[in-house]
Amino acid sequence: MKLGKITLELMHQKLRACTEEMALALSHAARSTYVKDAADFGTALANLDGKFFAYPAALGVSGFLDLDCGPAIAAVAATGPLEPGDVIITNHPYASGGLATHMPDLQLIKPYFHDGRIICYGWDFIHSADIGGGVPSSISPAFTTIFQEGLQIPPVRIVRAGQINTEFLAIYSANCRVPEVNLADVHAMLAALTVGERRVQAIVARHGVETFMAAQADLVDWARTKSREVQRQIPNGVFDFWDYLDDDFNSPFPVRIRCRMTVRDGHVHLDYTGTDPQVASAYNVPTGGMRHPWLTLKLMHLVGSLDPTIPLNFGLFENITVAVPRGTILNPVAPAATGVRAATAVRINDVIVGVLTRALSGLIPCPSGGTVVPVVVAERAEGTGNPVLSVIQTLVGGTGGQAGMDGIDGRDSGLANLYNTPLERSEAEVGVIVERYGLRPDSGGAGQWRGGMGLEMRLAFRTPGTSVLGRGLERFVFRPWGAAGGRPGARCEVILNRGRPDERRLGKIDELFVAPGDTLTFLTAGGGGYGNPLHRDSALVLRDVLAGLVSQNAAQAEYGVVLDGDAVDSVATARLRGERLSTGQGHGPDPDFGPERAIWESVFDDRIATEFALRLQGLPVGTRQSVRQEILKQVLPRMAEINRIGLAGALADPPAQKRLLRQLIDDRLPPLSPADAAWICSS
Amino acid sequence: MSDHRRYRIGIDVGGTFTDFVMAETHGKRLIFHKEASVPANPAEAIAQGIAALLAQEGAAASQIDVITHGTTLGLNAIIQERGCRVALVVSEGNRDVMELARGRLPSSYNFRLGREKALVGRRDVFEVPARLLANGRVLRAADPAALDTLAAQIAAGGYDAVAVMLLNSYADPAPEATLADALVQRLPGVPVTASAALWPEVKEYERALIAVLNAYIHPLMAAYFDRLSQYLADLGVQAALYITSNNGGTMSLATARERPVDTILSGPASGVSAAAAIAVGRIDPARVHLLTFDMGGTSSDVSSIIGGLPEIAQNSKVGDYPLMLPVVSVSAVGAGGGSIGWRDAQGVLKVGPHSAGARPGPVSYGRGGVEPTITDALLAMGVLHPGRFLDGRMPLDKHAAKAALGTVGAGLGLSDSAEIGRAICGVATVRMATEITKLLAQKGLDMRDAQLVAFGGAGPTTALLLAEEAGIGTVIVPTSPGTFCALGALLADVQRDFVRPCRMTLAGDDADAVAIDAIIDTLRTTAEGWLRGEGSLVQAQEFSVSADMRYPGQSFEFRIPVLDAAPETAPETDRAGALAAAFHAEHQRVYGYRQATGGVELVNLRMTATGRLAPVTLPAQDPVDVDAAAPETRQVLLDSWTEVPVLQRALIAQGARLEGPLIVEQPDTTTLVLRGWTAEADDAGTLWLRRGTGQEARA
Repeated sequence: MKLGKITLELMHQKLRACTEEMALALSHAARSTYVKDAADFGTALANLDGKFFAYPAALGVSGFLDLDCGPAIAAVAATGPLEPGDVIITNHPYASGGLATHMPDLQLIKPYFHDGRIICYGWDFIHSADIGGGVPSSISPAFTTIFQEGLQIPPVRIVRAGQINTEFLAIYSANCRVPEVNLADVHAMLAALTVGERRVQAIVARHGVETFMAAQADLVDWARTKSREVQRQIPNGVFDFWDYLDDDFNSPFPVRIRCRMTVRDGHVHLDYTGTDPQVASAYNVPTGGMRHPWLTLKLMHLVGSLDPTIPLNFGLFENITVAVPRGTILNPVAPAATGVRAATAVRINDVIVGVLTRALSGLIPCPSGGTVVPVVVAERAEGTGNPVLSVIQTLVGGTGGQAGMDGIDGRDSGLANLYNTPLERSEAEVGVIVERYGLRPDSGGAGQWRGGMGLEMRLAFRTPGTSVLGRGLERFVFRPWGAAGGRPGARCEVILNRGRPDERRLGKIDELFVAPGDTLTFLTAGGGGYGNPLHRDSALVLRDVLAGLVSQNAAQAEYGVVLDGDAVDSVATARLRGERLSTGQGHGPDPDFGPERAIWESVFDDRIATEFALRLQGLPVGTRQSVRQEILKQVLPRMAEINRIGLAGALADPPAQKRLLRQLIDDRLPPLSPADAAWICSS
Repeated sequence: MSDHRRYRIGIDVGGTFTDFVMAETHGKRLIFHKEASVPANPAEAIAQGIAALLAQEGAAASQIDVITHGTTLGLNAIIQERGCRVALVVSEGNRDVMELARGRLPSSYNFRLGREKALVGRRDVFEVPARLLANGRVLRAADPAALDTLAAQIAAGGYDAVAVMLLNSYADPAPEATLADALVQRLPGVPVTASAALWPEVKEYERALIAVLNAYIHPLMAAYFDRLSQYLADLGVQAALYITSNNGGTMSLATARERPVDTILSGPASGVSAAAAIAVGRIDPARVHLLTFDMGGTSSDVSSIIGGLPEIAQNSKVGDYPLMLPVVSVSAVGAGGGSIGWRDAQGVLKVGPHSAGARPGPVSYGRGGVEPTITDALLAMGVLHPGRFLDGRMPLDKHAAKAALGTVGAGLGLSDSAEIGRAICGVATVRMATEITKLLAQKGLDMRDAQLVAFGGAGPTTALLLAEEAGIGTVIVPTSPGTFCALGALLADVQRDFVRPCRMTLAGDDADAVAIDAIIDTLRTTAEGWLRGEGSLVQAQEFSVSADMRYPGQSFEFRIPVLDAAPETAPETDRAGALAAAFHAEHQRVYGYRQATGGVELVNLRMTATGRLAPVTLPAQDPVDVDAAAPETRQVLLDSWTEVPVLQRALIAQGARLEGPLIVEQPDTTTLVLRGWTAEADDAGTLWLRRGTGQEARA
């Protein structure tokens, strides 16, 4: 590092504050409710390569710290050098190289000059209210291409030498459903970039341009050193893990994400080879095939938790490399739709938790409930044809247990850390009574440190013509798993008229029409448990039973704790626990995925699933998904009925189904390349 | 000369000292006093202090008219988890209202941080089959048998207090109040708090939390108020006793007993009130906004006074808990005198967030602290005098401070401990300056229009470092910065806020105006009834009304003042139309657009009721001839080691204009005036520090 250790801290404070000032200016003036309610926006300062060297500590989206403005800057610079007063705009997931990851996210970049040369870039983004496309707010899981998802803006100048491009704005406005909101947002973003520019100029005037440039490099070095120190806590070695999305919305087949982590002295390589092909729905995660925030988010959480003093810049990620094959769900090829990429990101997080847990049990909490669902109620509005839409509640699961700490009940900050909605607000907007909104007992995975409980919400409907949307529901098939003897969390369920004769278990819903008098119950997944439940402090088990979070049955069955009224029967408990330990309870599979995964993998084991994915890669991108679905339909003809028959019903004859899968792979797909064959052999 | 003298006393109880400011109302004098606090029994220090003041004046207890008292007892109980066992009663289906809170966790980065501590466990929450719909209609009411069962459960649980929150009770507080009354009858001696009676605003978690906090500290505060009353009675004091409140005002002891939650953030609020008061008539509030800068042992707090009025926050925090009540907005911006300077694994210099606090305190206190703090840094730099800290009551060990600073210096390229101290102050100052810059950016205000009011033990010492860094041109140092909160208590009027939900979309017709007027009438009747009970000293009554408004679909509201608060004076004005117009204009000003179609929603109407007490006139300072004091100097590390004149505050003459560099000492603080700044004392003794022209604002 070039700067002194005092100057470095001063520059650290000032540059971070600069990005925070930009964030405050942006959120103050922006109009989109995504910005106002969910803080779905970002600001940063980028170096000459387009990587962020300064980032807010707690304003806006935390997860975009490692985005790369480089491809967007290069694309525009190729049309002529950037001049003072230029501003770049893009929302294009592919042309921006993964800077924008779905199209409602508008990205602006402004070069900041000093003495005629660029000294850094200001960046901001917002999730705008609407960018056109097939549905209001532009996102539907059913979309298959970005042509359905709205107006595509490759990197271009929205402002040239201080003059805003009004023709561009005219095209833009004509393509948005709420142009006045979008234009206000664009002006707010431009204003925030000007705020950052003024602050950078003031810092340069005070400290000199040499110090300013040196600080950019030193801050990154500082973070790189710190993250290396943290990552050295991960043992050296090669670790494999995979997990599943229940389906891709448009077809009933699970989607697998696979990662091989190779660790050497604090350097981490993530290889996503063996991950399933890009999907014909909006779950694709555009990463440009490079190290990308969505692929490394959980490592950032690890580093941030073990060294909260780390300066926030891309140096945090500089000890990570990534390989992600083209044409997979994690590196899709244009024009694959990307609108709900965040749902996939939740599962990427779980996979990274998995490889880290394989490397060192207890390093990181077990997976959370693994779902983020805005439950929306639509009512016919009187007089107009438009329905009244209201987000009744955003449901999450509990967080996972970790060594020394239970998971947190009914909350999850893993992806978004959103506020919930006061029931009194929801009930004032639509004719729904929220009969219950609380914790779901016995849903957190049992463990020495148990998983957080999921949620239970029961809605009662009073208005004719009401429908309920629950898009983003996940973990209906595969559970949040437990580790080190801990048990998995309960799966999600959606139940119509629970407890009545006409009760129906619905599984996932997309849009459900309900009648007055109906009730609808959502049960979300609990987090995975950590450690053998038989080693849990019996006082904690008693506390949970008295609090109504763990049933007496579960206390005995899962934890081996026998209760006598409001007290622990310590003699009976010691005896029961002793018996269970001697028969090996808690020495089961690690991680414990629950029974569903074993059923699935009785046909789709890692070897064949990896080969399947790799041989699909040999087909042209456009046909991979359709061939995959044709094969799976033959192997799993009853998969669409899974809500009724369960996974075991869909995989009723695993040996025969596995033989058929093998035969179809060999008949329909090109052979493995020698490199891929070697890769599989190394597993 | 004895009998015609009348007194008013303001008292602020701190962790180390209990501060008193007594005004002799006819003679227009202020008498300051500090008494060592008695943490186990704060009322004792109050009684001792009052007795000492009376003895000093040779006056009788009967000559005291008003005692206004700020206490952090409730706040401390909440932060230190020393409140009572509370049972929470909620509607069926809402048992987890406290478990889920608002769904957020404290950090997106750090998975080791858990959620906030539970004030009531899940086991202590009781569901009753009683709830309302959003329109206030009763969906289910608990029958007497259910209430008997509930009361029996609560009695069996041995709870000290009960809080009640029924869903949608904000829309009609009556059913919840009825339920609370039924519990009072069945649970004699147990205080019962009903959420909507405290604060009828939508949002069930926040409202339940207010009720729970109130119940949590209720027995403790009641016992304290009883003890205090007894002490004062024993002294022969017959004065009205008022307690300072979160909104910068005060309330009677009776109100404080019922609503102790209104007192928890009153400490900093009083300081802000005092800052607003000392600037009256001396700055143009339309042009200048004040930032208060209160630097204490563990942190520095900043708040803003815009247009002469302290800024009120609707969503502040108490510890980890969100508070929906209106309170004077105070933000922690960084280090206090006890904040620790250290180096991280890469050798980079950091300050805080750890603090040595008052115990063990800075190294120089000699109470076992080993890590160097800001106070140690200021001592090594020569800004503080080791023998004159806290009027000499706390001798400082300069050698120990320098030695501790030296341990941090290795690797920084600095060998001189004073230079290390200067670097620590520099890092802390930059942090605070960036926080203040952001605070103003959030409000859309310009730093160049801001003036800083510095108080607290260390505020005036570091204020100019901060002003230099932030680009602020004027710093105001009150006469007695160490007892400033007590002064704020002395000057405060009786004040309380009221709210009523409305939930109407303004259609622009007469019906709107009638409905709004009806709600304002209700608010006013309630507020007047309350003021009548606040004692005979209340003189003029004032009522200001504001409306929370938004466009349909927005999830946040703007607070719009309702200019005419007396409906009977102008019945034919289009109140609804005027409100809508004001909302559109405010939205346009802040967000740059207005929405012509779709109407405007009125969410709440609010009223602030103020009962003015007889004003206290701040005394003029007697002129003193500055030459009478022999100039003393000491070596201080500024840009370089500099011989700096040291003056005693009491000897600075009214109207004197002094050039920096300069140090001004007084019993409760030390003020550092940098080179390029001038200090001027006004006729009330307030020091005005102004930067000479020609120096640009710095980054």
